[in-house]
Order: sequence, then C-alpha cells, then structure tokens
Amino acid sequence: MERNIALIALFAALIAALGLVPAVMLPFGVPITAQSLGVMLCGTVLGARRGTLAVLLFLLLVFLGLPLLSGGKGGLGVIVGPTGGFVIGFPAAAFVAGLITERWRRGPVALSAGVAAAAGGAVLYAFGIIGMSLVLDKTPLQSALLVTAFIPGDAIKAVIAGLVTSALYRARPRAVLSRA
Amino acid sequence: MAQPLTLDNVSLALEGRAILHGLTLTAQERRIGIVGRNGSGKSTLARVIAGLHAPDAGQVRLFGVDVARDRKAAIRTVGILFQNPDHQIIFPTVDEEIAFGLTQLGQSKAEAAEGVRAILQDFGKAHWQGAAVHPLSQGQKQLLCLMAILAMRPRLIVLDEPLSGLDIPTRMQLTRYLERVEAHLLHISHDPATLAGYDRVIWIADGRIAQDGPARDVLGAYIADMERLGGMDDISDLAG
Amino acid sequence: MISLTSPVETRAHRWPAGAKLAALCIATMALFALDSVAGQGAAFAVMLALYAAPGAVFLRSGVARLRMLWPFLAVIVIWHLATATPAQGAVIALRLVTAVGLANLVTMTTRLSDMVDVVRWLAAPLRRVGLNTRALELGIALVIRFTPKLAAKGAALGQAWRARSSRRPGWRIVLPFTLIALDDAEHVADALKARGGI
Repeated sequence: MERNIALIALFAALIAALGLVPAVMLPFGVPITAQSLGVMLCGTVLGARRGTLAVLLFLLLVFLGLPLLSGGKGGLGVIVGPTGGFVIGFPAAAFVAGLITERWRRGPVALSAGVAAAAGGAVLYAFGIIGMSLVLDKTPLQSALLVTAFIPGDAIKAVIAGLVTSALYRARPRAVLSRA
Repeated sequence: MAQPLTLDNVSLALEGRAILHGLTLTAQERRIGIVGRNGSGKSTLARVIAGLHAPDAGQVRLFGVDVARDRKAAIRTVGILFQNPDHQIIFPTVDEEIAFGLTQLGQSKAEAAEGVRAILQDFGKAHWQGAAVHPLSQGQKQLLCLMAILAMRPRLIVLDEPLSGLDIPTRMQLTRYLERVEAHLLHISHDPATLAGYDRVIWIADGRIAQDGPARDVLGAYIADMERLGGMDDISDLAG
Repeated sequence: MISLTSPVETRAHRWPAGAKLAALCIATMALFALDSVAGQGAAFAVMLALYAAPGAVFLRSGVARLRMLWPFLAVIVIWHLATATPAQGAVIALRLVTAVGLANLVTMTTRLSDMVDVVRWLAAPLRRVGLNTRALELGIALVIRFTPKLAAKGAALGQAWRARSSRRPGWRIVLPFTLIALDDAEHVADALKARGGI
C-alpha cells in the first residue's frame, strides 16, 4: 500500500517535473514537450490502474490551481480552453498504454511499450480533437487539421517511451509493475 | 522487563544476495554505536531494527515488541533517522511533516497541532511553524526529521548516518541536539569519531558481528583495521 | 510551491470555494448555450469588469494569463473571415475568452488549501462507503513535496550531462530522471512505513 501510494505520487510529480523541461522545437516551429511522455510512461511503467491514478492525481493538482502543465499553465481555465480535451484525455491515454503493456507480454518490452504508448497517443488525440471541436465549434475533421503538425513529435515520443520502459525494465525489473 | 534490543539469529537476503548472517545480540545501553564499512550491511541492519524489513529468519524485538510484525506498537517504540533527509520528509511544510507521525499515533488534528507547537518550542524553532520544506538547508531538514521523530516519543531511535554529508558546524550542532535525546540511540556510522563517547560499539563486517564491546576497544581495533585496508586495493573487488 | 492564486487579496478570496466552483459550472454551461453576439458580448464585458474590480495589478495579471489563447483566436478569425461567417466567429471567440477567463478567475481567487478542502468535502461520500480518502490527501501532499525536488534533480542531471558533453541532454535524460522517481518512491514508501503507514 505505502509503495503504491509512493509510486503513484512520484510519477505524478514526474509528469509535473517533465513539464518544466524546455520544449524541443521541430521544424516549422512546432514545440514538442516532454510532459505527455511522462503520461505515457505512467501507463507503460506503472500499468493501467496505477498509471491512471498517477495521471489523475497530477490533473487534480493542476485543476486545484498549481501551474504544473507545460509552460506553467494550470487552474480551471485549461479545462474549458481549446486544448482541454488533451488534458482530459491524459488519464485515458495512460490507461490504454498501461493495459496494452500489461497484456502484451510476448516479445521485447521496447516493442510492446512503444506500441502501447502510440495507442495511448491515439486516444489522447481522439480526446483532444473532440475537445477542440466543441470549444472552437468546428467539425472533428477540421479540428484534426489543426493538430496534424504535432503528430510527428508524438510518434517520436512513443518510440522514446518504448526505449525508456525497456531500459527501466533492465535496470529495475521489480519496479516496472506493468510487467511484474 | 523486556530488553531494549534483542536480535535472535537474524538473517536477511535482498534480491538474492545474503546481507545479514545470523546476527544475535542483546543490548540495554542508552548509546549504542554500530560501525562498519560501506556495504557491510549496517544500513540494512538499521532498517531491520526499525522494522522496515522483516528478517528472512530470526527475530528482532525492541522492548519486547516484534517491530516487523506489530507495526502499530512499533511506531511507538522505534523511530529511524535516514542518512538523506530528503528520503524521509514526506510533506511540503514543517507542520504537516511533524503532525503526520502524531496523527498516525491516533491523535486528533488539534492534539497533533499542539504537539507540533510543543516540539518546535522545545527546540527553539517556534518561527519554523508554517515554513515550507523545500528551501531548508540540509542540516535544517535533518533537524526537522529529528523533531518529527522525537514528537512521536519513541523509546529507541535508529540513526542511519544522519551526520555524514553535513558540514562541521552543522554536525556539531546536530550532535548537541542528539545528546539531549532521552530515548535510547542506536547510531550507525562508518566514522569512528562520531561514536567516540558511546556506551557500547558493535563492529559489523560482511553482515556479521566482527567485534562488540566498549567504544574505546572496538573503535581502536576498527581504526587499525581500516588503516590496514586503506593501504591495500580492495576497491577492485566486485560484490558477488 | 507557487500556486496560481493571485497575491492581490480580493473580496472573492473570502467567498466559499464550493460556491465559486458551482457558479463557474453554471456560468460555463450558460455560455455554451448562448448563441447571440450581443449575449456573448455582454458576458465578456461582465468578465472584464470582474477582473477590473480589484484593481489594475489584478487585471494585468489576469489578461496575461489569457494570452496563451491568441493562436486559437487567430485561427478562428482567419477561418470565419474566409468562410464569411463573422457573427458565428465572434460568438466562438468571445465564448472561448470568457469561459477561460471566468475559470481562471476562480483559480486566481481561491487558495490551494480552500480547494483541497472542497476535494475533501467531495470525497466525504466515498469515505462513508469505506474508501480510504487519506491516501488521496497524502498523495496531494507528496506531489507538492516532490515536484520541486524532482525538478531540481533533473536540473542537476542536465548539468552532469553538460559537464561531459557539448550537446544538449535531449531525451536520453528521461531514463535517469525516471529512475530517480522510482528510487525516491521506494524511499518514500520506507519513510511512510517507518511512521505507521496508511
């Protein structure tokens, strides 16, 4: 019990701390932030249940008014803002990433965790696009056009999530609960 | 009356490696030191005595309490001060950190708040009330950990090298605070100077008791052996 | 940790947090139901007046927080000029700014401790059905405690990297960063256990 709470809280803090890492700029000036990588890692490392709880805990603190989202954003405004769907999709993304990593045990960890993170990313986009079409009053297809520039960055992040999870599995096999 | 500290044939392996090999010992001294090199198993021993690790075989009893199994009685009996205060402090503010242990003992919020005020007052740190933990210095954090433990009034406090990593004045100040403590102290250190005035010192090597007796005798032999090893090159040996 | 609560003490700081949150919910739903430019314009004006009431410093910091919306406003303006539907564009843009502005207003005028109290109140029914809400409060405290610490360790890792490399640390630093979080979690679990667990 103590270990679960500690892991959930520390990974929530990890998502927050990754939000402070300055964004890397892709060509065309599209920023990729490390924060959603943290969300994926919650799923691929802690598994579906604990990973989702870690993300929910992080979001709770954001909504309560701590500036923990990338770029120092936070508070209730982010929910009704245009990117609110992405934020609300964080826990669902972690859940899907965690579920796939837990269930797909054959083959290398890097592959299953990488695919899991990519699937989590797809879920994240689904939430994000729906949120955007509600707030901006556009069709989902029109909203999707607005976010296509970010897809390469998230594909890279899925690969990184796979590699990091597999390296963690080698370094601390006991701690990678999605495979324990 | 039950002995303050009894270890009965305690063994423990972590991740397949044997760390402690059948330790047996009884102690009632108020100031007990444990010396040993890095990796000798003394930090694991500290966690076993604090009840954080249950031994694979044997039994640890403090004042008659089986600290690994009876956790409820254990937190009234033993406290532990870790080497790195950042590993110990759970809460973002001084008050919450101290109050946590008190509410764990079953005190109400108001009682715990009173306990926090009392311990801060006792240490002349009343102005720390409400302060955030993050900007505190290493020595201040270590003192906060000590106050948080003392507020719970345990009968024995395990010190797992809390002084290493502190500068000389801070170490002297913290040592003075430790000298005032009424509870039994079990102080683990690799530095013989820290344990010089202790009632009894136990030297641990490779998870076994190498020597046990008055501080002067044990520390003398320990220093001689450490200087002998210092002339060699066992830094190249891998643990296996 | 620094929260987004405004340091400018307003009258609204003393209003009950739960009431502010309930009012925000109703106002936001009303905004999304309202389809006239005049109605949205009026709501926008009320929102601005609420920001202006506590004074210029509060207004300025409030407006600064809305600045992150400009790329989206730009998209809306271009889109609706191109499709010749300016009235619809005005409704969407005004609604976006007003909704985010009102939500930020609640955040700016409510202390973190008051927000946590609302969470505790909302969680009370869970406690009655036997769920452990202490874990939730403990989790909140742990995140507030460990986020600055992890961030500081991340910065130290970055320095250790740069001391031996001329390149930016990049994603490779995520692995040691995550290891630190995992190892810290083990220490925290020990620290919790040492003082009686949950």
